[in-house]
Amino acid sequence: MPAYGLEELTMRIRHATIAAVAALTLGVTAACGGGSGDEAKSDDITGEITLQTWALTPKFTGYLNEVIAGFQAKYPGTSVKLLDQPGDGYAEKVLAQASSNTLPDVVNLPPDMALPLARQDLLADVSKNGDLSKTYVQGSIDAYKFTGLDGVYGYPWYLNTDLNYWNAKQFKECGLDAAKPPATTQELFAQAATLKGKCPDGYLMSRKPDVTDFVRGGIKILSDDGKQFVFNTDQAAALVDQYRDAYAKGFMPPSVLNSDYQGNSKLFTQGKVAWTTGGATGLADFERDNPSLKGRIAVNKALDTPPLYVQGVSVSAKSKHPATARAFAEWITNADNQNKFGHLVNIFPSTVSSASDGYFSKDDGTPGGKARALAFDELKEAKVLIPYEVNSDMQILLDQQIALAVKGDVTSRKALDDAVAKMNQMLSRQ
Amino acid sequence: MTTTDVRPQVHADKSDGPLKRRPEVSGREKLLRYVLLLFVLVITVGPFLWQLSTSLKGAGEDIYTATPSFIPKQPTLDNYAKVAEAIPVWRYIGNSLLVAALTVGGNILFATAAGYAIARLRFRGRRVVLGLFLGTLVLPGEVTIIAQYVTVRSFGLADTLAGVALPGMVAALNVLLMYNAFRALPQEVDEAAIVDGATVPQRLWRVSLPAVRGTLAVVAIFAFIQAWDDFLWPLIVLTSPEKLTLTVGLQYLSGTFTQDQRLIAAGTMIAFIPIAILFSALQRYFFKGVEEGGVKG
Repeated sequence: MPAYGLEELTMRIRHATIAAVAALTLGVTAACGGGSGDEAKSDDITGEITLQTWALTPKFTGYLNEVIAGFQAKYPGTSVKLLDQPGDGYAEKVLAQASSNTLPDVVNLPPDMALPLARQDLLADVSKNGDLSKTYVQGSIDAYKFTGLDGVYGYPWYLNTDLNYWNAKQFKECGLDAAKPPATTQELFAQAATLKGKCPDGYLMSRKPDVTDFVRGGIKILSDDGKQFVFNTDQAAALVDQYRDAYAKGFMPPSVLNSDYQGNSKLFTQGKVAWTTGGATGLADFERDNPSLKGRIAVNKALDTPPLYVQGVSVSAKSKHPATARAFAEWITNADNQNKFGHLVNIFPSTVSSASDGYFSKDDGTPGGKARALAFDELKEAKVLIPYEVNSDMQILLDQQIALAVKGDVTSRKALDDAVAKMNQMLSRQ
Repeated sequence: MTTTDVRPQVHADKSDGPLKRRPEVSGREKLLRYVLLLFVLVITVGPFLWQLSTSLKGAGEDIYTATPSFIPKQPTLDNYAKVAEAIPVWRYIGNSLLVAALTVGGNILFATAAGYAIARLRFRGRRVVLGLFLGTLVLPGEVTIIAQYVTVRSFGLADTLAGVALPGMVAALNVLLMYNAFRALPQEVDEAAIVDGATVPQRLWRVSLPAVRGTLAVVAIFAFIQAWDDFLWPLIVLTSPEKLTLTVGLQYLSGTFTQDQRLIAAGTMIAFIPIAILFSALQRYFFKGVEEGGVKG
């Protein structure tokens, strides 16, 4: 067994059960409900619709209300009801709504959550009304195109990416130069060795490899028809081997073997490791949690290829006011409204014309401003590093197998073979 | 304190002879016992203490330190005030209390009635009913959650607090607890009441219920904790932000872009304190009840 705590493991199993059952039920009810949705649908932009967002209130209640008020003023006779859902359990909530035909008209869905709903014909194809690529950045539109389905199943909303955050104090003490932090994974291994030489108790590396590292390394994840995982190659095994050797030499703390995403940032804030990744909003969090870190964090661009995180709004295929729902989804994702959102918090608009908004590209000298400018620049080359076919349950499974390999319990090749075999089973059930 | 001398009287006839005297404990063993007890205490209470201390820490001091520090250097109650500003915490507490009250009331009523019927009344299919109750214990709740939601929705109870409370109002485990408690009472007392002409409700109300108050307290606590702590079910049933229960509503403190750990810790404490108070108020009955129902099973 990997080093998961029993409780965590049970939670994971439970989580997997819910997802599986929900997917099953979703299939059944969606299949049954398909024929009966022929209620009178209006093409006028009017009537009451609901908007469901994901954990944006109370912080952005004011902003969302402003967007809604603007829409209602532009289209008299419409009203938009905001239902913001809490962060935890959002996937379960959406699946429950989908399986009981209560999906709100406009739903904030990241691509991986939109995929199962699009497969069940529960989301509207939004590519039919006009050319999306005139308004939105191509990479963000592609995130809502799915293999085997025609069309685009969501309007791209805000974007984010990861930056590297380095502990400048530890760099100085341990013989590294915070002005020249690692820019690639290979440099990371090299500098980790330097740090270990000077500070035997310190760590530079703070996470084990995952699917994003395979994509960064140019390893093919899926077969061309999208039906098989194929990343169990010698190249991938060599990469895992490299991490295994680094772990054996003590370049990473043992707790990375049961880390989840928040893991490396916690270790970083504690000062146990000198590196973490995080969005452009991360800096504010680190400094608020541990004020002693202020002025001690160096930022640079993500290693190798930066990741692209896309959020979007989808329109329910069963909406009673499809025209209103589409109009609102276009409204909330238009350049003007997205720019305003990006000025409130370090996220980035998915609209083409936002590139001319000087706010995002200008380094105003503050650490937050530097992070923003770096991240905005990074978005030009950012790619989606987690293929949407790899859902969270598959990531957990891969994580466990890689933990075994890094610990040295099984060979990297066997761990990858096992992961691919199980993930293929899960993929065929989707 | 020994635990063997507080056996309930019902079982007095079963105890075999006088209690054995415990041998004297050597000093070293005593020390070892205390060390082990302290160790377990640290494991169980540690995380709560950490949350408590985080919730009291000021904005100027570090939360994550290599060696955990429990005493805030700039103690403040600001974080609690900020929680109340950020989310309608009183409303959420009210919603949670309503759901908890319905769940506790429902369980006391229905678990008592069902437990008494299975333990004391003769009717066809009694064993089958008991088996069904046992059988549902094996199913994890998550498996039926979507089906349950579709059912509650078809009653028109989606997005209502009644819909949240309904499925929890009679829990199979509580029925079994009550069944066990009633079964432990001597049959003769019941038979005497029958001879005196007491009806079933009279026998339940006057003869049996007073003897199982301890188990009732256990059922009440279990039901309360279950209703107060439940997360996934209210999350799925409720959609309107103003109707959420406390555990779900507190999730708004960890937003998409910002997570203030001090606020989250303060929120956790707000959710935890009522349970701690309830438990310490009822713990006398709790332990009495656990023994009363469980020994003879």
